[in-house]
Amino acid sequence: MSYILRRVLRAILLSFAVSALCFLFTEMAPGSFFDEMRLNPQISPETIFALRSSYGLDQPLAVRYARWVKAALHADLGYSIAYNMPVRPLLWSRAKNTLLLTVSALALTWLISVPLGVWAANRRGGWVDKAVALGSSFVISVPELVIAVALLALVVRWRILPVGGMMSADSDAFSTLAKVQDLARHLALPVLILVLCEIAIIVRHVRASVLEVLGATYVQAARGLGVSQGRLLFRHVLPVAANPAISLLGFSLAGLLSGSLIVEVICGWPGLGPLLLEATLSRDLYLVIGGIMFSALFMIGGNLVADIMLIAVDPRIRKEGADAR
Amino acid sequence: MKLIHLALHVCLLAGACFAAAPAPEAAKPGEELARMAGVTGRFGGGLTIGQRSEPKTLNPVTATDAISREVIGRLMGDLIEINRASQLTEPALAKSWKISADGRTFTLQLRKGIRFSDGHPFDADDVVFSFNVYMDEAVDSPQRDLLIIDGKPILVSKLDQYTVRFVLPRPYAAAERIFDGLGMLPKHLLEKPYREGHFAQAWSLNVPPTEIAGLGPFRLKQYVPGQRVVLERNPYYWKVDRENQRLPYLDELVFLFVGTEDAQIMRFEAGETDMVSHLSSENYNLLAREKSRIGSQLADMGPGLEYNFLLFNLNDLGGKKLDEVATKQAWFRDLKFRQAINAAVDRQSIVRLVYGSRGAALWGNVGPGNRLWVNQALPHPTQSVETARQLLKSAGYSWNSAGQLQDPTGRLVAFSIITSSSNSQRMKMATLLQDDLSHLGMQVHVVPLEFRAMIDRVFQSFDYDAAIMGLGGGDADPNPEMNVWTFNGTSHLWHMGETQPATEWERELDQLMQQQMVTLDYAKRKQLYDRAQQLIAENLPFIFLGTPNILAGATARVGNFHPAVLDPYTLWNADELYVRGSALENAGVR
Amino acid sequence: MRAKVLVVIALLLGLHLALLLAGFVAPYDPTAQNRELSYCPPTRLHFEDGSGFHLRPFVYASAVVMEGDQAGSYQEDRNHEYSLRWLVTGPSYKLFGIYESTVHLFEVDEPGRIFLIGTDAYGRDEFSRVLFGGQLSVSAGIVATLITLLAGSIVGIIAGYYGGWVDELLMGVNELFLSLPWLYFLLGVRAFLPLHLSTLRTFFLLTGVIGLIGWARPARLLRGVVLSSRNRNYVLAARGFGATDSYLLRRHILPELFGLLLTQAALLVPRYIAAEATLSFFGLGVNEPAASWGNMLSALQQYSVLVSYGWLLAPAGALVVTSVLYSSLAEVFHSRLKSHTT
Repeated sequence: MSYILRRVLRAILLSFAVSALCFLFTEMAPGSFFDEMRLNPQISPETIFALRSSYGLDQPLAVRYARWVKAALHADLGYSIAYNMPVRPLLWSRAKNTLLLTVSALALTWLISVPLGVWAANRRGGWVDKAVALGSSFVISVPELVIAVALLALVVRWRILPVGGMMSADSDAFSTLAKVQDLARHLALPVLILVLCEIAIIVRHVRASVLEVLGATYVQAARGLGVSQGRLLFRHVLPVAANPAISLLGFSLAGLLSGSLIVEVICGWPGLGPLLLEATLSRDLYLVIGGIMFSALFMIGGNLVADIMLIAVDPRIRKEGADAR
Repeated sequence: MKLIHLALHVCLLAGACFAAAPAPEAAKPGEELARMAGVTGRFGGGLTIGQRSEPKTLNPVTATDAISREVIGRLMGDLIEINRASQLTEPALAKSWKISADGRTFTLQLRKGIRFSDGHPFDADDVVFSFNVYMDEAVDSPQRDLLIIDGKPILVSKLDQYTVRFVLPRPYAAAERIFDGLGMLPKHLLEKPYREGHFAQAWSLNVPPTEIAGLGPFRLKQYVPGQRVVLERNPYYWKVDRENQRLPYLDELVFLFVGTEDAQIMRFEAGETDMVSHLSSENYNLLAREKSRIGSQLADMGPGLEYNFLLFNLNDLGGKKLDEVATKQAWFRDLKFRQAINAAVDRQSIVRLVYGSRGAALWGNVGPGNRLWVNQALPHPTQSVETARQLLKSAGYSWNSAGQLQDPTGRLVAFSIITSSSNSQRMKMATLLQDDLSHLGMQVHVVPLEFRAMIDRVFQSFDYDAAIMGLGGGDADPNPEMNVWTFNGTSHLWHMGETQPATEWERELDQLMQQQMVTLDYAKRKQLYDRAQQLIAENLPFIFLGTPNILAGATARVGNFHPAVLDPYTLWNADELYVRGSALENAGVR
Repeated sequence: MRAKVLVVIALLLGLHLALLLAGFVAPYDPTAQNRELSYCPPTRLHFEDGSGFHLRPFVYASAVVMEGDQAGSYQEDRNHEYSLRWLVTGPSYKLFGIYESTVHLFEVDEPGRIFLIGTDAYGRDEFSRVLFGGQLSVSAGIVATLITLLAGSIVGIIAGYYGGWVDELLMGVNELFLSLPWLYFLLGVRAFLPLHLSTLRTFFLLTGVIGLIGWARPARLLRGVVLSSRNRNYVLAARGFGATDSYLLRRHILPELFGLLLTQAALLVPRYIAAEATLSFFGLGVNEPAASWGNMLSALQQYSVLVSYGWLLAPAGALVVTSVLYSSLAEVFHSRLKSHTT
């Protein structure tokens, strides 16, 4: 239990560190939200200056940070300059969609990649293994954005799925079942892109760690003793091989979350991605920081879950937690 | 079974989309409606527009971004409008106006008996209220600067319920054009937030549709965060068509937030949206190839008003630690150096490779798209490396054995061009330019920067050698250009913050621009502006490169699709757009 | 098995030799523009014409067919044949940055042009660009991977092996690095750099930035493996016999990590090469007109380019080949190591 307590403490410290660095970064980045107005010849520099000060952007960094922390402790993440609205409701209305997308992609990725990796390792050099090696090389080598655009292009041509968005414009009138179907159809493409981008990494790691264990002395001894391949695999190999895979789970969540940023933008998925990308490019500071904090919490949570699972699989680690040497 | 399912689906579709749309109100006696004599169409149905991102606000006073304005423009009505097709002003909420002989006093006669989209009547009080808000310093409207002339606000007063007088601090040419884009606000809804000091927060995206009203053809129906804004017909709209039927034809106008320019194209290609504008030539050609498959109407409106140019940093760098830039400024300040670059630029290649031949080369700030104001007499010399070399030689430059250009002091000529990495067209121009200038022995580095990082260098830090940028596109009139060409203008990009004209020609240019602004006669104004264009072309503060054509597309079912070269290109006549016959019958509407 | 190893090694050598000798293999200067031949599709090699079969392949010139006032598609101009010649002189280049030479592996007779995999927007030979771009991209990818894995292993091993507050601290920093808004950071970094960066500086910058951002993932993975292997019975037993930390690390822990490290390496090299496409958006990539696989791929992110000019996928193809070869190499290494340790 104390282990988990320590992790929670760390998460809190981490949140402070992340937020402080976020502020520092925003200070370093050139340009401000109001720069676009400079291009509009009808707006005077005085107006821009007045706007800046009305948002407190002319205050020193430390003052702004202190103010923000104070407000954040009261669950107030500040105010979006672009939307003229508090940040929290803006983030929340989209975070749900991002969660839906990432969690579906996560589940699907692991459902496919674990059996595939185990299979490839078990039949090493077989056609599945080769196909996995080639396929994953391909997917890793092509940038996510290109994969996304290519898949979208196919969808446009074949008209098999909607090209983007989350719901049909008229879905309000649908029955519940039809609504779920509609959602699933819209979800399919972004999930597919995300899964494609992430799966290669997981498959390769699963395969490698299963191979590692398959080659271990005790497994070979067990095989020598006549333990069947299936029993060997499920009783002796997989539990041990699970370790690196579980470490990976923590940030496959983080990876999907950051990957979803791009995929959401290009697929028009109404999640955090389009909001944050635009906020970053337009220097809508508090929205960026709020979004980063949100995904940081998400990732810290993911890692925490991974660590706890690690302990569950490999109880020896727990002892380690107590006897800090 | 499947058939029934399909039929059900179609009914649902039709029902969901259009059943709730309000019918146009019957005309009331005494209501002074605007009759659009040339307009016919069919009622019913809806159109979907794909937007790159979602609007940030629905508040017409505080909105700063183009995407918000695109939506807001459909909700709001102006006193006087610029007709996008003719580029001339025409009566809107003001049915007529009178200008005093000295050009300072405008008396506007409002339409009687017309109503906001919530049914509340509109009169002079709303106009006075609106202008007070727009000009209020505390509200910080980006439009405020337009209404403050020589540091003095325009005086707005109500003469009677339907007459408003505007007194300008000094004569102002084409002053009626500033009324375009200033949406009239409903005093009955906005006075309270204004008095209480939180006007900027009013009409944010999550405003309940009952609390927002305007005089535009549509009114807010629904906003779904991150997904779409749905507008529905304003049943009280003040325009009627040829048969005296109240516009708009459409029941609904839906703005979908699709994410990227590419997504706009793909959604359009897939038939999920009905119109696209701001098309790049690549995308236009792509759609043209697919035209038969997707059955679309494409329009190439010819060159627009945007001008793209190469800009040298001629800023006063005193006090900034930018010694390296400062030494290069000796070249940039030399007119012959700039003329040499002007001569070496292959504009034909820019038009061909950057704009896919859908654009025009530019030699001045006013392009062929602006028929009223372009100076036709400006010379259009073709690219000549020879001329460029002669010019450099006469300015004391020479070439070393490796063919590299040296300045008179023997320094190798090398500089970098910054440009926005999100604008692929300007990136391409930079790469072409780099190659062109390498033929003069100049070593040019192209440095793509993220948009705001680039703007910051040009407007604030001055830490750059040269930049490729674009300006213009708002209005055809010379007045919006004032801030670029007057010495103390806020977009006097090559030399920001001058306290007095740095050169003789800048002094003359400044005077010409000031003069044209108070000259009311078109011919005289044109003369002044022609001379201004000539000065600019001769002294080359910018090396003008090119302007893209305005390209737009719509699906076959869109009627009255008449894109214009002025923004908003496709939606300016949203009240006249309609869904063509067969498409409507399929959906089973009225 | 042995034959397969040899094939992989031969192919890898061939690939790197081709990249190293890009100036020789490539027929053209990678920055030379042919403005009349923008987006020209791959030139077809012909062996037969009206007069029969030729042993020496030849090409036809490509010319634009106009459709109204608009440039349409390219077609071969069958009037002139341009033969392919081996080892001829052409544009000068520098081999290894030192030897100036004008000899090219192949070229076609002037004024013909051979674009094996087509041209880009400026009519530059895509084949030459892939070769020249590979020089920088592949080396940057490898160096960045090495930096990442080295830093990652040091942190991961220390954290996993020593555990306790060291682990707590290092993993805290690790999570911090994983959650920071790097896009914003990149903007800031760019602002502090001089506008023009030489290719060498770009190289250091790319590898440095990627290493800085990238070490966190492998560190965490390695830490997990170390954590569990240090608690294996035989390790605990060895420690009980008085084995030193360095002995334990060398003898028992490191061998367990090889598989993971190699897998990571095979994954990271192509990832990092492609990552340059993103970095170039922030002005941190290789700048025009120099070629790199990253900046070539960034052009493909445009829908219209991707669907209209498929041959521009060539750098992605090169990257796939490279990454397949590297992962096969990793595989070979891995099984060698295995057979040695057991």
